Amino acid sequence: MPAIVQLTNAVKEYPLGKLVVKAVRGVDLSIERGEFTAISGPSGSGKTTLLNLIGCVDVPTSGTVQIDGQSTSALSDRQLTDLRLHKIGFIFQSFNLINVLDVYQNVEFPLLLQGELSASDRKKRVEEMVEKVGLTTQIKQRPNELSGGQRQRVAIARALVTRPAIVLADEPTANLDSATGKAIIDLMKDLNHKEHITFIFSTHDANVTSRAGRVVRVVDGLLAQAAEHA
Amino acid sequence: MVLFTIAIRNLVQARRRSALLSLAIGLVTMLLVLMMALSAGINDNLVRSATIMSAGHINVAGFYKPTNAMSLAVVTDVGELRNIVEENTPNLDYTIDRMRGWGKLISDTGTVQTGFSGVDLADESHFLEVIQLAKESDYKDGGRDEIIGDPSQLAGGNTIMLFVNQARRLGVGVGDTLTIQTETVGGYTNTADVTVVAVARDVGLLSGFATYVPKQVLRDLYQLSPDTSGAVWVYLKDIEDADATMKHLRGVFEAKGYRLMDHEAVPFFMKFETVQGEDWTGQKIDITTWKDEVVMLTFVITAFDTVTVFLVSILVLIIAVGIMNSMWNAVRERTREIGTMRAIGMTRTRVLAMFLVEAFVLGLFATTVGATLGAATAFGLNALHINVPNDAVKAILLSDTLRMSVHVQSLFIAVGFLTLCTGLSALWPALRASRLSPVVALGHTE
Repeated sequence: MPAIVQLTNAVKEYPLGKLVVKAVRGVDLSIERGEFTAISGPSGSGKTTLLNLIGCVDVPTSGTVQIDGQSTSALSDRQLTDLRLHKIGFIFQSFNLINVLDVYQNVEFPLLLQGELSASDRKKRVEEMVEKVGLTTQIKQRPNELSGGQRQRVAIARALVTRPAIVLADEPTANLDSATGKAIIDLMKDLNHKEHITFIFSTHDANVTSRAGRVVRVVDGLLAQAAEHA
Repeated sequence: MVLFTIAIRNLVQARRRSALLSLAIGLVTMLLVLMMALSAGINDNLVRSATIMSAGHINVAGFYKPTNAMSLAVVTDVGELRNIVEENTPNLDYTIDRMRGWGKLISDTGTVQTGFSGVDLADESHFLEVIQLAKESDYKDGGRDEIIGDPSQLAGGNTIMLFVNQARRLGVGVGDTLTIQTETVGGYTNTADVTVVAVARDVGLLSGFATYVPKQVLRDLYQLSPDTSGAVWVYLKDIEDADATMKHLRGVFEAKGYRLMDHEAVPFFMKFETVQGEDWTGQKIDITTWKDEVVMLTFVITAFDTVTVFLVSILVLIIAVGIMNSMWNAVRERTREIGTMRAIGMTRTRVLAMFLVEAFVLGLFATTVGATLGAATAFGLNALHINVPNDAVKAILLSDTLRMSVHVQSLFIAVGFLTLCTGLSALWPALRASRLSPVVALGHTE
């Protein structure tokens, strides 16, 4: 079975005034379906850029990024949007919920964008997902009425509601206390185990890294092994 | 639906900003509705005064030239003309015929140049219904605060009905005697003494140039036969049909062998010079609409509408800048949210739609409230029957009282136009929002 994520000599450069910053410098990485992978490394090492490339919110300057066999460089903006909508779920460090929508509406939002389910199927799916993250009693509350841990649970439900192939989480525990952070990782791991969803998350927390099935270390835009040889 | 929910909730969340914008949009809508109501009111006044004093909805008139160099604004064999009109006019309400004249009206203390309308009350049952008499105090210093006089006395004898402005200028009231002085077609001066039997309320500029006398008074003054009149005035069930019916009647008269003058949108008294210069004798028929007879007054409406367009354009421009600025703020404040939505899978088009829906919802709400308040204010002002104290303003309004006419269609136009302006003002910020790269938007910090 081909890898769900395949990066081949992926490079990402950003212009910074007259300089060019190389955030990712020729990364080769393969992630199989159902893996629970942590991308670790110090701040500024290129973890978020790597996640952006895998999440199709950005495309590589050179090299290739393949998601489920599709090269992202060859896709138009609309196709990339469609790929994100159907195959990728996002969990952000700052939760990034839509403040004016309640828990139910936030979780329902990607399904509405997909427009594929009937209203009753959508309702069933959303309620099921909200129950899985343990927020049934808060379903009508808005994000500003929830704790940090509860908000991250909403974000997880929103990421998983479309049943994506991959869930990307950028420092999902960074804004949470250690107990809540542990609970969130437990939840993600449980969903990974039960639903066989591929989780890829960035972190620089050793406690979180220790829970991952696989750890990919990034240093100065290169994978650690490659960095040692560079 | 979710875009609508997001729009409503974002507007509520930024309630102070939304309230200020709504207030501005609502006030401009209200102003537009009031200006349109005033313009429509002036138009109604014009129609009313024109079709009471100057013309029917359609006029079958003409010129008679006994010689090449002489012309009279009369039609002969008026009975036959009326028969043709009555048999061939679709949607006809009724017809009348009016004598027309021009001359001096002389009192002990003053003289005015005016037009004379010769009426036959036995033939004009509607005349007394539309004339509104003035209180004596309106035209006479120290006069009684009650209506005196009786316009039904115009049915016969040497009588006359004036308007307030003429009674004031001549210093006369009901019961006083005036002298009419006119010039016959042969160049002789004729006079007749008439008694004032009623004084009517002014109906705009036209009341300065109209008086009413029995037809016979004018026939005697101009030495005309009984089957001669000034014009057949045709009233339709719907005035909007006037143009089409005029064309139809021209065809009818042409087919019956009448000689017709070319249609020209000017009042009959402005055609004398042209007619006198033309090489023909006998009778020619001239068919016009009421608009043609008061074309010199439509400039008031055109000028008023121009001012309205100018004023509303400036206000719309100011509001557009406000909305644009507000939307820029919204886009800046919600850049991360836009990034999140784009990352989740929202297309650029939907981001654009989301901001436009927000602007349209705001616009629709504010304009609907503004239009409702505008209409209510117009109805309120009408109910107060406000008298216009200034003669210049009276001339512009074509009435001595403030009159507003609210049409449902104009409310829809105001709401639709200003909502569209609001939406279009948000287009540029919305386009910029939709073009944000998700990775840039996600990295944005306020």
